[in-house]
Amino acid sequence: MVNQVFSIEIVISNKPQARDPEGETILRDLFHKGGVTSVKEVRTGKLLAVKVEAANEEEARNKVVSMCNDLRIYNPVAHSLNVRVRA
Amino acid sequence: MKVAVIQFPGSNCDRDTVHVLKNALGLDADLVWHNEFNSGPYDAVILPGGFSFGDHLRGGIIAAHSPATETVVEIANEGRPVLGICNGFQTLIEAGLLPGALLRNTCLKFVCKWMNLQVENNNTAFTCSLKKGSKLRIPIAHNEGRFYAEEEILDRLESGERVAMRYVDDNPTGTSRGITGIVNEKGNVLGMMPHPERASDLSLGGTDGLKIFESMVEWARC
Amino acid sequence: MLVGDIETTLTPEETQYARQQLGREPSALEWAMIDAEWSEHCSYKSSKPVLKQLPTTGNRVLLGPGYDSGVVDIGDGYVLTLHIESHNHPSAIDPYGGAATGIGGVVRDILCMGTTPIALMDALKFGDITRSDHSKWIMKNVIRGIADYGNCIGVPTVTGEIEFDECYERNCLVDVACLGLGRKDELLLAEATNPDDSVYLIGGSTGRDGIHGATFASRTLAADSEKERSAVQIPDPFTKKLIIEATLEASRAGILRGCKDLGGGGLTTGLSEIADKGGSGIEVYLEKIPIRESDMSPIETLISESQERMLLVVKRGSEEILHQIMRKYGVTYSRIGGVTSTCAVIVKRSEQMLASLPTGFLANAPIIHRDSRLPRVRKPEAEPPVPENLGKVLLNLLASPTIASKEWVFRQYDHEVGIRTVAKPGEADAAVLRLPSGKLAAIKVDGNARFCDLDPYVGGASVLAECCRNIVAVGAEPVAFLDHCQFGDPNDEEIFWAFSMAVKGIADFARAISLPCVGGKVSFYNQDEDTGRAIKSSPVMTVLGIVERPEHVTKSALRKDGGAVVVAGKTKRELGGSEYYHLLGLNGVTPPALDFEVEKNTQAVVLECIRNGFVSACHDCSKGGLGVALAEMCVAGGRGATVDLRNLPRDETRDDELLFSESNSRFLLATNEPENVLNALRSRNVPAATLGTGGGDSLDIILPHGRLQADLNAVQAAYATSLERILEPWQK
Repeated sequence: MVNQVFSIEIVISNKPQARDPEGETILRDLFHKGGVTSVKEVRTGKLLAVKVEAANEEEARNKVVSMCNDLRIYNPVAHSLNVRVRA
Repeated sequence: MKVAVIQFPGSNCDRDTVHVLKNALGLDADLVWHNEFNSGPYDAVILPGGFSFGDHLRGGIIAAHSPATETVVEIANEGRPVLGICNGFQTLIEAGLLPGALLRNTCLKFVCKWMNLQVENNNTAFTCSLKKGSKLRIPIAHNEGRFYAEEEILDRLESGERVAMRYVDDNPTGTSRGITGIVNEKGNVLGMMPHPERASDLSLGGTDGLKIFESMVEWARC
Repeated sequence: MLVGDIETTLTPEETQYARQQLGREPSALEWAMIDAEWSEHCSYKSSKPVLKQLPTTGNRVLLGPGYDSGVVDIGDGYVLTLHIESHNHPSAIDPYGGAATGIGGVVRDILCMGTTPIALMDALKFGDITRSDHSKWIMKNVIRGIADYGNCIGVPTVTGEIEFDECYERNCLVDVACLGLGRKDELLLAEATNPDDSVYLIGGSTGRDGIHGATFASRTLAADSEKERSAVQIPDPFTKKLIIEATLEASRAGILRGCKDLGGGGLTTGLSEIADKGGSGIEVYLEKIPIRESDMSPIETLISESQERMLLVVKRGSEEILHQIMRKYGVTYSRIGGVTSTCAVIVKRSEQMLASLPTGFLANAPIIHRDSRLPRVRKPEAEPPVPENLGKVLLNLLASPTIASKEWVFRQYDHEVGIRTVAKPGEADAAVLRLPSGKLAAIKVDGNARFCDLDPYVGGASVLAECCRNIVAVGAEPVAFLDHCQFGDPNDEEIFWAFSMAVKGIADFARAISLPCVGGKVSFYNQDEDTGRAIKSSPVMTVLGIVERPEHVTKSALRKDGGAVVVAGKTKRELGGSEYYHLLGLNGVTPPALDFEVEKNTQAVVLECIRNGFVSACHDCSKGGLGVALAEMCVAGGRGATVDLRNLPRDETRDDELLFSESNSRFLLATNEPENVLNALRSRNVPAATLGTGGGDSLDIILPHGRLQADLNAVQAAYATSLERILEPWQK
């Protein structure tokens, strides 16, 4: 099986219980102050866009999830992890 | 007693720490470049404050992966005193030696300020020369010092006496329950956000920080 | 103007001069290099003749202006280095990146001398944040940029000054100064004197960020300056920290002949300045320069201002040691060429010659003599009535952004790292840092655009005087200063007149107090192209002082056992240029007068009183006048005061003049030995009087025509929380 290179996005954000003051500030101070009341919530996170070799998309995604756990790319105590294939 | 202060790329408070250990306390302290660290001669290790690896991705995470930190974990498991100050505390958490997480301050700004702390547990390598409940005045300086863990975990830490220090009457960073210092079960590994090396001279604002290092010496004697 | 195919800022006279001097038509690359080096920002072509007035020698000055940093000998084998940078134009469009890279730039200049950066200072000017969201945005991001960068590299930001005025709305001023410490025998002079020494480029790679940064700074800002984002550089403090460690280690290993930071004009200015100083030449190979994008042209490579790059001149034979040091810290390095004995800056690609310019020619732009013209006389304004409620006025003044506590700012700066900071922000009139020799360094930055706008000569001198007062107030003797002149378009004859007069005022006062200028900067073109609005004349001074003994360090808080409050100096009817007038929407016609001899004498006697141990706290009177100075001492000490101002040395002042006039040459001293202090002052002809004592929980001031009473809590709240209420109204 030939390996291809897949684009995977890792998004690390605070768990809902952990409060996201930056998101709160952006919501209140940028959106709402700017008159945009249709925005109800803002959560911030860190995005890592990685290119990884794998046989297929699913394998690519699984590899990345493993890496995130093994290398502590996120701290499971405080962060939620979202790994998605880039469209 | 021989103490190692480990210097990572981006550490800032390493020389300050060595200066205090040597000059204020007369200890045999070495500034050790991370790649050159081996545990052999050292009775205690300190991971100093700063921005190791630029705080990239997250404070302390890259340093936690370095061979130097693996050696620190071995030393900790053998029961030798290990102190993590600020960025060092972050590294100890990322290395799995201490629980919880250190998140960005709720005020979203760096805070440089002298704080009033209370010792919650004096059965640790770095607070044993103090009484439980004693007050210390030591400055903080950080952007990511909000200690966080879910409520049940926090309850367990409190009842297990894992909270070593807490802020009194002020909490500018929003840290859970004012927590600013955590210790491991055995009491030999302690992480604290305040900088004891900055409270080691009256002309700079106070000498309560010396008591942290003096405890380390006392613990080694017991 | 377009020269060949290259867009340059050169004038027809300059291009003609260039052709004449070279005796041929320069190549495209050569034109680009000349353009960068001869930009106002890099060459000071308009300002050199004016700056010549400044005194630059003194028995402690080892190196004056013209090098990367001024060098002051402080005895015991130690030297202090001093430098200031401005990043005004970049910060106006990218406040975070512009301010952060400003720190990066000023630190490099200190490093170049082989000294360790030990403190940073910032002098900032923003628009009216009580009215303008844009200025709030600029301010917050400038502060964050300085904080993130300075904190990451571990250099404490220990003092600063912020002024607010509408004229800075689209042209903020961001000045950062740096103090360095080193051993005299380890000083590096950026001179390439030995042929066959190697020239290395270390640090970040060279990219397209920062193209035309120097020429950008040499033009006025227009609405479409947003597109100039490529002129703004990306900060990378982690790389800078590694460069600091690596460079200092290389310097201590004795393998460096010189070191030059790459700032305005990039490699072009770096290479030409290093060669010019050493009276030699430099030859570099384009293909050896690590570039970020493979299709960069020679011009882009030579003028790029990508951050975090240094040129090192390494002694022949020591290259391998350098490689080891660079590898240890993970700093990228490349030997890009060598020092030659021909006095030219030569750029080759393999063996193809791309540029060859004589060093003297390149590094010395032809001087431009600009015309100046006196501005129109100001119309006098009607005198306002004395307000009914002076207490309310005091609270408003304390809450006005220029005067209000800057705690919101300095808490974001790590001011403790390095464990040297003995007098911290908010504690004293200047920052004080302990030195290994047992002495201490005092450092302060000051500006007063309102004074300078009314009269640049008196204003310029007053700014230097105030800065020296702040140094003296902490128990230090001023030993050197930096001047930073910031003005609008120098082609405007009135603006150039103001610049010339400001420098004259500064120079005359500096000579009167025997204070040498060891460096500085000139920043022109701080002007909005679309509206034509220029900033007010904004010279900023940085003064360095030495405290002989730790016991002399004096802070400004009125303490419990602080004793009586004494005023030194005479208060006059001088509301022109005051913060009080600004609150009323007035300017006045002239700023307070400055009598050089009176100022010099008063400072000398106050310093003596401090050294004799008579003084428990000291604060100079400046912005906001005596009323504000007293309130500030009370807030710092957490206690009120009861004072009677009827008998203090003064003209026949109204009560508001007495409280808020910003007359020069005045200090407030707290002392347990008021008789000794009064005797010392009066015997040397300094008018002085006891005002009262600290204590209680209110500020109680008896005035000739009334009384001011303000609750201490109200005073503290107005002063301490104002900036936070303006910038982050949702907190608490």
